[in-house]
Amino acid sequence: METLTIGKALNTGLRRALEDDPKVLIMGEDVGKLGGVFRITDGLQKDFGEDRVIDTPLAESGIIGTAIGLALRGYRPVCEIQFDGFVYPAYDQIVSQVAKFHYRSQGKVRLPIVIRIPFGGGIGAVEHHSESPEAYFAHTAGLKVVSCASPNDAYWMIQQSIASDDPIIFLEPKRRYWEKGQVDVDGAPEPLHSSRVIRPGSHATVAAYGPMVRTALDAATAVAEDGRELEVIDLRSLSPLDLDPVFESVRRTGRLVVVHEAPSNVGLGAEIAARVTEQCFYSLEAPVLRVTGFNVPYPAARAEEEYLPDLDRVLDAVDRSMGW
Amino acid sequence: MASGHPRASGDAQHDRAGAEPHGPNDFVQLLDPDGERVEHPDYSVDFTDDEYRELYHDLVVVRKLDAEATALQRQGELGIWASLLGQEAAQVGSGRALRPQDMAFPTYREHGVLYCRGIDPIMPLSLFRGVDQGAWDSVAYKFNMYTIVIGAQTLHATGYAMGIALDGRIGGGNGSGNGDEAVIAYFGDGASSQGDVNEAFVFASVFHAPIVFFCQNNQYAISEPLDRQTRVPLYRRAAGFGFPGVRVDGNDVLASYAVTRSALDSARHGQGPTLIEAYTYRMGAHTTSDDPTRYRIASEVESWQAKDPILRMRRFLDKQGIAGEDYFAEVDAEAAREAVHLRERVLSMPDPDPLSIFDHVYPNGSPLVDRERAQYAEYLASFAGEAH
Amino acid sequence: MTPVSRVKEFKLPDLGEGLTEGEILKWLVNVGDTVALNQPIVEVETAKAAVEIPAKWAGQVVTIFHSEGDTVEVGAPMIAIDTDPGAGPLPESAPAPSAASLAAVEVAPAEGAVEPGLIGGPAPGGRTAVLVGYGPRSTTAKRRPRATGPSAAQPSAPQPAVAQPSAVAVQTRPAPAPVEEPVEPEPVAARPAATGVLAKPPVRKLAKDLGVDLTQLVGTGPQGSISRDDVQAAAAELVEAASGKRSSAAPATAEPAARPAGEREWRVAVKGVRKLTAENMVASAFTAPHVSEFYTVDVTRSLRALDRLRAMPDWQDVRVSPLLLVAKAVLVALRRYPMVNSSWAGDEIVVKDYVNLGIAAATERGLIVPNIKDAGELTLRELADAMTALVQTAKAGRTAPADMAGGTFTITNVGVFGVDTGTPILPPGEAAILALGSIREQPWVHRGRVRVRQVTTLGISFDHRIIDGELGSRFLHDVGAFLADPEAALLAWG
Repeated sequence: METLTIGKALNTGLRRALEDDPKVLIMGEDVGKLGGVFRITDGLQKDFGEDRVIDTPLAESGIIGTAIGLALRGYRPVCEIQFDGFVYPAYDQIVSQVAKFHYRSQGKVRLPIVIRIPFGGGIGAVEHHSESPEAYFAHTAGLKVVSCASPNDAYWMIQQSIASDDPIIFLEPKRRYWEKGQVDVDGAPEPLHSSRVIRPGSHATVAAYGPMVRTALDAATAVAEDGRELEVIDLRSLSPLDLDPVFESVRRTGRLVVVHEAPSNVGLGAEIAARVTEQCFYSLEAPVLRVTGFNVPYPAARAEEEYLPDLDRVLDAVDRSMGW
Repeated sequence: MASGHPRASGDAQHDRAGAEPHGPNDFVQLLDPDGERVEHPDYSVDFTDDEYRELYHDLVVVRKLDAEATALQRQGELGIWASLLGQEAAQVGSGRALRPQDMAFPTYREHGVLYCRGIDPIMPLSLFRGVDQGAWDSVAYKFNMYTIVIGAQTLHATGYAMGIALDGRIGGGNGSGNGDEAVIAYFGDGASSQGDVNEAFVFASVFHAPIVFFCQNNQYAISEPLDRQTRVPLYRRAAGFGFPGVRVDGNDVLASYAVTRSALDSARHGQGPTLIEAYTYRMGAHTTSDDPTRYRIASEVESWQAKDPILRMRRFLDKQGIAGEDYFAEVDAEAAREAVHLRERVLSMPDPDPLSIFDHVYPNGSPLVDRERAQYAEYLASFAGEAH
Repeated sequence: MTPVSRVKEFKLPDLGEGLTEGEILKWLVNVGDTVALNQPIVEVETAKAAVEIPAKWAGQVVTIFHSEGDTVEVGAPMIAIDTDPGAGPLPESAPAPSAASLAAVEVAPAEGAVEPGLIGGPAPGGRTAVLVGYGPRSTTAKRRPRATGPSAAQPSAPQPAVAQPSAVAVQTRPAPAPVEEPVEPEPVAARPAATGVLAKPPVRKLAKDLGVDLTQLVGTGPQGSISRDDVQAAAAELVEAASGKRSSAAPATAEPAARPAGEREWRVAVKGVRKLTAENMVASAFTAPHVSEFYTVDVTRSLRALDRLRAMPDWQDVRVSPLLLVAKAVLVALRRYPMVNSSWAGDEIVVKDYVNLGIAAATERGLIVPNIKDAGELTLRELADAMTALVQTAKAGRTAPADMAGGTFTITNVGVFGVDTGTPILPPGEAAILALGSIREQPWVHRGRVRVRQVTTLGISFDHRIIDGELGSRFLHDVGAFLADPEAALLAWG
């Protein structure tokens, strides 16, 4: 067991992946010499060389497009998009090419590409550095989308994603990069595309992913003092969603609150609400409620606390659910 | 067969985009429209008679198959067809210049290149018929699947070329071990405006990738003429990115061959990328339901007919005594046979099985897709009689 | 190949959305010519330019259907080609355009037509040409026939794998049963725990409105869920239980278990509605301090009044009974003593302006207590009609749950069973309940002499938290006084 931050856990996981498979490459802006603007790739170029940890030109579409060519050549590229808001120039290469190659070729060609994207707000940044674009990718057939929320998951999920032949969008909760936790480096990981109950409870279920998992846990801690036990689920995989644990939980508690930073309109919460309603109809004591960012562009830094779901908003939703 | 100095790019001082090159000073030409050989200081070919005849054969067959596909589309057997009429020399010339170990990234119109690589010409037709998305193994055929998003493949080609270079240094990829591989990326004049193509130029030059960018400038992107894409001859764009560019007469199969062979060899010997602009003309429509009479005049088309690539080759063979009417007739007959064979195979292509739409979404599959497949299968089974 | 199919008709491409026609400019072949596949056979002109049409089959031209200069509708056959000319002579003459091909022809438009095959123009297969594919085709509004009705399409619903959850509530949360791979509908393996029931939202709302506790019910809906009927049945039993009589016979809802042969004791499980009823009765009896009082009254004048009422015009067909006058007596008295028409709410008493008068009714399902809403606003005639309707509806088993909810005062007629009186238990939420006993001839002191008169005993139970002895007595006395002399009472208090 080691105590690592999420950032360091990712760094260690990337290092393991580079060691284990000579075909693994890391590529992106400032990932080499600088070690990444969040230091996630710190020290890797020094140890593995410029041919395996590649500083690319400032061109996101170019990064993903050339990664496709490298994958065709037999490499396993791990691309970094420096910030969530800068993934959009690469969006065409991602959804028109990365997502479709395997299907287009009827299974003859695989692109084992991982696209790492720090996402979410809460770092007091200027525009375009606090986005939650996960729905655009979860909505695209041919891509898989995951998000780690703890150092242990970060360490294991990045390695699993690199080892998978599926193209994977790997979302990292940037506001949590410096939060510490236990990492079981010798343990056996959970399956990559599985969700997990991380805190048991009986009164209501709260489901979250990425940066909001901590928020949900804090909410559960706070309300436990009042004798209310929330069951918290970390969804981990956004596409495909693993909702069986959620269904099982809702059949016990009868109530579900979904939390994400992305706006409610057409967000992951809407998909989860639809499926839970379909599968748990007779068990629902209250409708599925969502606590989300508002349907506005991400606001300026000094107003972001208004936008981001926090512990109080989560508990407000739980109260409303209990009152049904 | 061919030789050529790697770095020539003879351009006149003030040529503009759209100002048609007239002669050897404006683009590389080794065979003029009348079938006369032309000397060029930097490029030459040295073919045997058999090789000249093979080139002619390929040009004729490629055109004939293209015409057959056009007819099939008009008869409702293909949903769409992107005709290469008029561009045969650029494709056969460059296609023949590729070595077996080289990798090609086409757009959706390089049926001539495909043919010259020895690939079964039926392969793209399933895409245009709509029974699949053009599903072949890019890597095994060393010829990528057709890419419909304009210019996207130039980045894929560049990445592949970067991989070749990496193989040499770190030995990590799936290189054929043959050494000296090069990559050719095809795109059109319209594509040259796309961000992806320009980013490909950046990456290729920064990483010194072993790639040839082959632009078939057929003067039109659907209805938009060249001067809607550029204010400067396309081949000169390369200089801005730091690698050589050369313009070749795209209707001259010999020059197309020579220039491409030279550029590929430069690339494979570590001298980095080249941009080739093959100056040609799209004699047909963009696709079969396009109406070119809406945006270009008959006299322009006629003037290009005089520069027809097959016509000049035939004249050359005839004048040089390399082949005569008997041979031409024989080639025509063989082309016709191949066309009929292609037609039969197109008409007998089975429609895709309804449940096959759920296959191959992911290498590792997906529970959601599996569930949907099962539900849809049950739904289909609930109907009496035949499907729609 | 039969002779008919070897001759193929080549039509101008089928119509798409737009209607077009073409003019035959020039035939490039003649009847009898041999044509090769794709050989241009005709030049056709439409709005823009002439287009050459290549032959779809090789063979021999048998018939040319239109002359140069003719305008041909798209879809009409232009030329017939014998695709197997070497197979011998054709039988009879060349076929005329088949009925099917003619039927496919539609009228051409005057202008704006697009050449076949160009964007917006007709394309093969009834489609409209686009740049990038076959083009859209028009659709019909017609449904495909199913194999065996819609139910055939249902994925086989997993049969309930576990027994219906018993309402004998488990005290601990049971371990959830393993969940199956979700194929619609919801896997049944889940069992509701004490904290969860299976019920759709509308059913939950109904239960809430009727005051039914879902956790006590046995569900008879799909997958063991609780249905509307389950809730309504429970609600009815609830009302019956609350207004029940201690002297009542065995409740109709008791479901005796099969009696084992030779046994001298038999057990009826206390569950579901019976259990609910028992609990409600206990709650009422031991929460509200019940006081009962009795008043024996000579109601002879009431009965005579009823006779005269029956003889009045417009009253012949109206069902009048002593209960009608008792109801009127109660309504009049409630106006004088409104505190009796109230309910206990913990730290306050809710006094109601309206009287929802409950009448206990014996039905096949047992005793139910529907109420007449706002009975105090009704004329006697309206009251009579309402009471008749109420009883008939109850006997038909069609009393709506809303009719059984919201009562403010109840009359229970134990007299129909021949008993004198009783000490009824208050329905939940009411402050008083009146029992009407049988009306019998009894010796009575009337005007100083012992006479045979029609006599009955009124019994009232009231909640001593709300109503003290004086109020309860005065109220009861008023009711009795009305029945003793209805005309005077109505004159005084009506």
